[in-house]
Amino acid sequence: MKNTLVIARAIAMGCVLGAVVPIAAHHSLAAEFDVSRMVTVTGTITSMRWTNPHSWLHVDVRNARGQVEKWEIEFSSPNSLYRRGWRRTDLPPNSVVTVVGYPSRDKSAKVLSASDVKLPDGRTLFAGMPAGETP
Amino acid sequence: MQRIHLVTLLAAIGIVSVFVSSGCRTPGPAPTEAETYRAPRTSDGHPDLQGVWQAVNTAVWNIQDHPPELGIPAGQGVVDGNEIPYKPEALEQRDDNRKNRLTADPEAKCWMVGVPRITYMPFPFEIVQSAKQITMLYEYVHTVRNLYLDSVHPEGEVGEIEWFMGDSRARWENETLVVDVTHFGPETWFDRSGNFHSNALHVVERYTRTGPDHMRYEATIEDPNVFTRPWTMSMPLYRRVDDNVRVLEYECQAYLETQKDAAR
Amino acid sequence: MSTRTSLLVLGMATALAVVWAATAPAARQAPAPAAAGAAAPAPPEFVCPDYSPIAIQACGREHAKTFKPPRTADGKPDLSGYWGGSQVAHEDLEAHPKTPDDNGGPSALVDVPDGKVPIQPWAEAKRLENKAKYIDQNAQCFMSGVPRHLYMGAYQFIQTPTRLVLLSEETNAYRNVFLDGRPHIGKDIVLWQGDSRGRWEGDTLVVETRNQNGNPRLDQQGRFLTDEAVVTERFTLFESNSILYEATVDDPLVYTRPFTLAIGLRRNVRPGYELWEESCYEGESNSKYLRNIGYRTYPGFSGKEARAAKEAFERRSAR
Repeated sequence: MKNTLVIARAIAMGCVLGAVVPIAAHHSLAAEFDVSRMVTVTGTITSMRWTNPHSWLHVDVRNARGQVEKWEIEFSSPNSLYRRGWRRTDLPPNSVVTVVGYPSRDKSAKVLSASDVKLPDGRTLFAGMPAGETP
Repeated sequence: MQRIHLVTLLAAIGIVSVFVSSGCRTPGPAPTEAETYRAPRTSDGHPDLQGVWQAVNTAVWNIQDHPPELGIPAGQGVVDGNEIPYKPEALEQRDDNRKNRLTADPEAKCWMVGVPRITYMPFPFEIVQSAKQITMLYEYVHTVRNLYLDSVHPEGEVGEIEWFMGDSRARWENETLVVDVTHFGPETWFDRSGNFHSNALHVVERYTRTGPDHMRYEATIEDPNVFTRPWTMSMPLYRRVDDNVRVLEYECQAYLETQKDAAR
Repeated sequence: MSTRTSLLVLGMATALAVVWAATAPAARQAPAPAAAGAAAPAPPEFVCPDYSPIAIQACGREHAKTFKPPRTADGKPDLSGYWGGSQVAHEDLEAHPKTPDDNGGPSALVDVPDGKVPIQPWAEAKRLENKAKYIDQNAQCFMSGVPRHLYMGAYQFIQTPTRLVLLSEETNAYRNVFLDGRPHIGKDIVLWQGDSRGRWEGDTLVVETRNQNGNPRLDQQGRFLTDEAVVTERFTLFESNSILYEATVDDPLVYTRPFTLAIGLRRNVRPGYELWEESCYEGESNSKYLRNIGYRTYPGFSGKEARAAKEAFERRSAR
């Protein structure tokens, strides 16, 4: 999510120079997330909340015991997605995604701050142009 | 929440007493004065709407006629014909909203309250005008609206882009600023009485100076999911002429967050 | 070459210089078409490099001596437009490294010997307490205060003869700077963004901000102000796409002397760019997790509390 956020906010800012620093997280990630390690989960997207300051992906993840855990993945702001041409109805339904991110320091929470969200074909979710649009 | 509303009510009463003597007009057909008033111009030749303005009515409580209740003043409504043309199932939703208003009203959560309600919240707002946009700076939770001139809404069908305050594109029609507002989400209400809309809401606002310290505000509401036909509300807006007046702040969410700490 | 042809060539050259190719999404065109990851030619270099606040202050001031800024109808330098600048000061006003959490950067301060914030000992102790205990205001969608508002977001400045409005997309926050010469509001009215009054000194807009409420912190290291702080900002256009922004913070209850930070604000020339609504509190949910691990909402800090805290600290130190 850090990389996506940097790129997305850089576009939102219209960073016109290489010299301008990319936008940082708008609040300290380390207060809420354990930035010393990364966690990977794979699951099915059940819904997405397009809200500011973060969109949230809701992902059903099957754990080692075969039980379904409900994870919340903190994602890019909607405006950064809107500016790239994505719309709320573009989320591929029931997509399986692999999420890499920082886990919450709140151990009771199944929450990740996403660094990277990939679809099975290796494409990054919501990068580039909307699915189905021809270049 | 009742306590918060009482405070804002008392503040509103204080404000009314400052300028009610300048002759408040009731909503209705535009008075003759408006037909002949030509507002001063900005440097790019358009009517100057700038200044600090405020609505003085009870529309925030209920946009229709209503009798008084404890802590709530009586009010003559702002809806033309006093009728909101709900579809039958939508009217049930409205009545349900009304029952749950103390918690379900977006204002109770310190959220932005949408259009047109932001105009008649009991707080002032400032209009700042430039060649390409009119910017509205509201006191209530620092809401901002940019009314962009000579431009179009971002592309998207209903539900594809959802903003609390919608997306506003404006044009001048002689003395009137006409503002087309789309791309709403479904969460805002028109008042504290549960009157509501869906994300298909489309609002057309009209701002017209009617005198040195008055403006006429009209909003036409269209929402095929909720109403059987478009309907219109209208009201005067009053210039705040107090000495050294400025829009202040009402950062409602800060109070809620402190309450959440205390609840632990 | 005729004037029209010259203008056409100039227009095309300008368009090429300031608009770099961006592969936009095919069918849907938002008003702000954005790069979709395709490699684009490098955008133009701005005058004065960004790598150091000290450098940009010196360089900006030098250029400002001879630069003739575009002017508004009332003859003042025109600060209107979309702007953005270095944000790293919100992580830490002092020099700090890149980490998973921080972008990192040099000290934002330009007039202190070692880039260190000149904080009093009692206040340094409180700073550490702030950092350990309280939620950063930005996480709760509160406003940033002055000067942090201008190193926390993407901006649009709107200028009239009597107002400079500083809009920020970040949580839709705004500041309204009054240019009409009227006095500050009464000191008992404290506000998140304070009360800002501006006047022109030559081609520099000087803005004095009082009446802050002592709640927003200057950075994520817990650095703070009281409600008695006075912040003086200077906005100087030093070339057509750059403003030198300087902010002097004066809070003698907290700091041993005033200190100044400097940032280069760069014009966003992307065609069709607009600020869009960024509702924040309506969707905010991070603070629930922060509370679960012990953080609380910062209660703010007044001058009165500062005097009491300083006295208590000095009594303890004297033992």
